[in-house]
Amino acid sequence: MTGLRVPPGARRRDLPAAGDRAAAGARAEPPDAGTPDAGTPDIVDAAGGDQRQRPVGPARLGLIGWLRWGWRQLTSMRTALVLLFLLAVASVPGSVIPQEGIDPAAVTQYYAAHPTLAPILARFSLFSVFAAPWFAAIYLLLFASLAGCVLPRTFRLVGSARQLPPRAPRNLSRLPLAVSYASTLAPETAVQVAGQVLAGRRFRLRSGDGWIAAEKGYLREVGNLLFHIALLALLASVGIGAIFGYKANRLLVVGDSFGNTPTALDVFRPGRLVTPADLQPFAITLERFRASYITSGTELGQPLQFNAALRYSTAPGAPVRSYNLRVNHPLVVDGVSVYIIGHGYAPQFTVTDGAGRVVFDEAVPFIPVNQTGLTSEGVVKVPDATPDQLGFAGVFLPTAVDSGGRLESVFPAALDPRVSLVTYAGNLGMNSGQPQSVYQLDTAHLRRLAIAPRPLAPGQSMKLPGGAGTLAFTGYKQWISLAITYDPGQLPALISGIAALAGLILSFMVRRRRIFVRAQAGPDGATVVDLGGLARSDAAGGFEEEFARLTAQIAGAQVAAAQAGSSVSPAPGDNPAPGNYPALGDTEGE
Amino acid sequence: MHVNISLADTSNSCLLAAVVLYALGMLAYACDFAFAKTRLMPEAAPAMLPELVSVGAIASASAGASSAAAGSAGASNATAASSTAASAAANGAGSPGQAAALGGLPSRAERWPTGFWLRAAFGLTCVGVVTQMVAILTRGLSEHRVPWGNMYEFIAAITCMAVIVLVVASVRFRAYYIGLFVLIPVVFALALDVTVIYTPAGQLVPALQSYWIAIHVTAMIVACGLYIVGAVVTVMYLIADRNERRIAAGLPSRSAGIMVHLPRPVILDRLSYRSILFAFPVWTFGVMAGAIWADHAWGRYWGWDPKETWSFITWVVYACFLHARATAGWRGRRAAYIHLAGFACLMFNLIGINLLVTGLHSYAGLS
Repeated sequence: MTGLRVPPGARRRDLPAAGDRAAAGARAEPPDAGTPDAGTPDIVDAAGGDQRQRPVGPARLGLIGWLRWGWRQLTSMRTALVLLFLLAVASVPGSVIPQEGIDPAAVTQYYAAHPTLAPILARFSLFSVFAAPWFAAIYLLLFASLAGCVLPRTFRLVGSARQLPPRAPRNLSRLPLAVSYASTLAPETAVQVAGQVLAGRRFRLRSGDGWIAAEKGYLREVGNLLFHIALLALLASVGIGAIFGYKANRLLVVGDSFGNTPTALDVFRPGRLVTPADLQPFAITLERFRASYITSGTELGQPLQFNAALRYSTAPGAPVRSYNLRVNHPLVVDGVSVYIIGHGYAPQFTVTDGAGRVVFDEAVPFIPVNQTGLTSEGVVKVPDATPDQLGFAGVFLPTAVDSGGRLESVFPAALDPRVSLVTYAGNLGMNSGQPQSVYQLDTAHLRRLAIAPRPLAPGQSMKLPGGAGTLAFTGYKQWISLAITYDPGQLPALISGIAALAGLILSFMVRRRRIFVRAQAGPDGATVVDLGGLARSDAAGGFEEEFARLTAQIAGAQVAAAQAGSSVSPAPGDNPAPGNYPALGDTEGE
Repeated sequence: MHVNISLADTSNSCLLAAVVLYALGMLAYACDFAFAKTRLMPEAAPAMLPELVSVGAIASASAGASSAAAGSAGASNATAASSTAASAAANGAGSPGQAAALGGLPSRAERWPTGFWLRAAFGLTCVGVVTQMVAILTRGLSEHRVPWGNMYEFIAAITCMAVIVLVVASVRFRAYYIGLFVLIPVVFALALDVTVIYTPAGQLVPALQSYWIAIHVTAMIVACGLYIVGAVVTVMYLIADRNERRIAAGLPSRSAGIMVHLPRPVILDRLSYRSILFAFPVWTFGVMAGAIWADHAWGRYWGWDPKETWSFITWVVYACFLHARATAGWRGRRAAYIHLAGFACLMFNLIGINLLVTGLHSYAGLS
């Protein structure tokens, strides 16, 4: 019975591997947590070694004691489990409630639809869940818990690299897998032959008087720790991207150009430590844009391909290159990626005011409000018109078809475009100092002019009442919207991801196991060989076969040795043993 | 490139035939349960399992002793030791199927199904899965692309993968007892797929036109197939475990008719865990491949799109399951419930997100 017991100290040193039943989840108690139950048999330790005592509550402890207790609570597996659950639950609202960072328009709609509920949700950051303080609290606590568990274990793994397996238990038949058979070899030779077989299979060995203990599978813990450390590195990579990277959007009408400066970008979201001077000084011109669509069948109007012919230069004065920008084929310029994320139409208008001056001649991007027909809405602001400023709110229909008295667009390509406008006159409010959206008309100081609504085809114009002037719909251009991202954390994130996956696979595939061999003279003088096997992490099974194979090999080698001559032990060169065998063998009896 | 209509029609017919074959296979599995004379499931002595080991050394000792006795009984001399020791270790008490029941692998001869109904069921399943693979292949050929572009195609693919897992697990672990329970949801899902969810063959939107679809979606399909089988086996585990508890408490078994065909709960638990050991890294890879693709297509590798969010939630819940299995007090039923919660997240991601939420991943093809 004593053979199954190990002193508390020995058990503690075993702990780095304890709990690696599920590699992803393996966690050991901090070395000084709780009281190591010295009397626990090693079998129980190995098979259920990941049993964790509930951290002992602080009784009459000072500040240090409380801190230690809190740290133990934080790094305990139960806490990690709860935090993981919380992380999953906390992510749910982010997929149900519209998010600022993903679809700001949907958030605006939500505000309109739920005027009382929306401010309450906003107070709890539910429109930006993944940037919310409480979400950050959960994952930071989780990662603190992870670090608190993984880092000490890494040190212990390094420490255990030179550690020998535990002694063989006295009674091997108590092990989960055990075999006993007779051999004609002398006990010492039988053990030695077994040791050579195990050493040849790269087991780590420890030998004693009539026994040998072998252990293998330390890579499991290596993979396990690699996985968890890689997750920490992944979080750090995401952080690097958020601090040193930036995201921007730019709507670009065919024929137009822009330079990569904050003022030229429609949306610019810099990382915390990004200044305008950090922006890569490239410039892009949109030469042509072509969209093709399915023209028949049930998928009529579904886009097939978008091609944007760009010309770009990495810096002012640098050579100009061209690029055919498509979905899934971003332009990478100076480490910055440029993507096409949308497209639409920009009808061109010429406005002549009451005084007969041309006060407006531009293509105005309209925003698609429906994808199948690409019906788009937009506004035209003519602040220079006299006597009153003019504003138009319009709808652009690429392929207009009369459906029961209403025009609607049935196809996204501009086969038969029409534009329909509502005209306002008055004060556009552009000088009030308030920032205005170019896609919205502030009608507070505008009056609607009474004009019979008449959709305009390209080339047509309408006369505004009261001598306010004329508006001509001269044609249309296409525009694309570009996403511009610079993320220096991307490559570290990719490397972390690959490392995490490698660690995961390693920890799932390798099993940590021990083989014990004992040989002694039996009552009839023949040698009795006992083999015992113990998998310390084998919930998925498979150790039985390995044990059977090893048993067959050991027994076979012993038979071969017996046939070669009862006193001959195999030449040392046959099966080179690692350095720690047998020189480091513990030859003490028990 | 236009859709090849006749190939698309062939695909539809093959998928329909596969559904019929699976339904017949399902019936044959049920008949095997009802009529087969041989009871293939031996009483296993799962010595290595944590539940038993933690009870105390007695269970391990007796199992070890029996195994040792079996070994020494035949090994009276050294020459016989080799083969006997090996077979003793591999086969335990030596009854056929015991090795499989113990979580070990059955020998080549005992892998194949025995008995008329089981052979019929397994044969129908195999013919069905080949038919379904032909359906998927012809669908892809008709569209000149990888046939995982919409929900119809995706469900056809994951059910096919689930049946492949079923076939492999049946043979490799002699787990023919899961056939009926895996085919029930497969037939149900495919029946919905060919009727309600059906989408005619067509072309891909620009965002999907990338070789990453073959990498990312294939990984997700493989993981889903494994997850489906894992969840089915977990449900079986919970039922078998409840039955075992009732018997242990001296209550009459409510499902003895079925239970006699099933192995001990620990073996079901181990089988479902095995499927997750495969599925989880594949899922992890699939999410990563998706992130790389998202970076190519949308300009960011992670953007909390609803589909991304739920694949993350699914990943986290399955990670919870793996951690729970490593934590005392959470193994067994609790871990099984977490497993099923993870599967529920997966299904919500597949069905709920496709149908209820609009996001960048809205390719379901349903309106």
